[in-house]
Amino acid sequence: MRVEQFQYLIVMALCLIVTLPLEFVLHARVYRRPRRLLRALLPTFAAFVVWDVAAIRLGHWTFSPEFTTGWRIGNIPVEELTFFVVIPLCALLSYEAVGNVLRLGWIGTLRAGSLGRFLPPAPGPDPRAEQRTDDRELV
Amino acid sequence: MPWYSVLTVVAIAVVVAAELLWIRSGIFRRRAYWLAVGICALFQIPVDGWLTKLSSVIVIYNPEVFSGLRIFWDSPIEDWGFGFALMTLALALWVRQDPDEATDDRPALVDAAADRSRP
Repeated sequence: MRVEQFQYLIVMALCLIVTLPLEFVLHARVYRRPRRLLRALLPTFAAFVVWDVAAIRLGHWTFSPEFTTGWRIGNIPVEELTFFVVIPLCALLSYEAVGNVLRLGWIGTLRAGSLGRFLPPAPGPDPRAEQRTDDRELV
Repeated sequence: MPWYSVLTVVAIAVVVAAELLWIRSGIFRRRAYWLAVGICALFQIPVDGWLTKLSSVIVIYNPEVFSGLRIFWDSPIEDWGFGFALMTLALALWVRQDPDEATDDRPALVDAAADRSRP
């Protein structure tokens, strides 16, 4: 095995590393809701793996042996399996982070996130309190 | 036959129909959804580019199965349709589990009224 063979997997790992701060700093709380996460990821994963298996079988795309590990489950490279978990994860983290910023503003989101304890206290009501109450109370 | 192009269009149609008819998470009415998908599409440029750049290609597309339109670092334009379908399905299934959760600036009352008007 050469290091280059891990390129695809390294790209996937970088996606996870780059989006990880969204979970904590921008308070996305995606990894911290694992059951809900699984219910979103599993059907998505299954549907796209079916497409991928068919596309690989029909020769729509192939993978460079130079930049992939060659580890496969059936005809599908493990890199592809990670792709169908990692990319949806990035999308969910982005959605939650964007939603927080739209709803609470940047400062409010940062206060709610894990770096909030380092920020000076909010002048108005605590955004954490607002988050706990949730807009459902309005309904 | 441009099968990848055809299947990409089919996948987008299936996912959009699934959201509108069955999942009904309401994501298409949320600004956070469109902003997040847009941001992810931008980040797709370097990620997809790294996987598809022809100088040292990792994922090799059969030229017969797609449009031949390669953008940025040689990524087939279909990849953005593939990504849209992939992310939209995951987001719809995620949001469905708590559709009342305020994840954007839309007043919760508006969403709640829309929810009540559903069959």
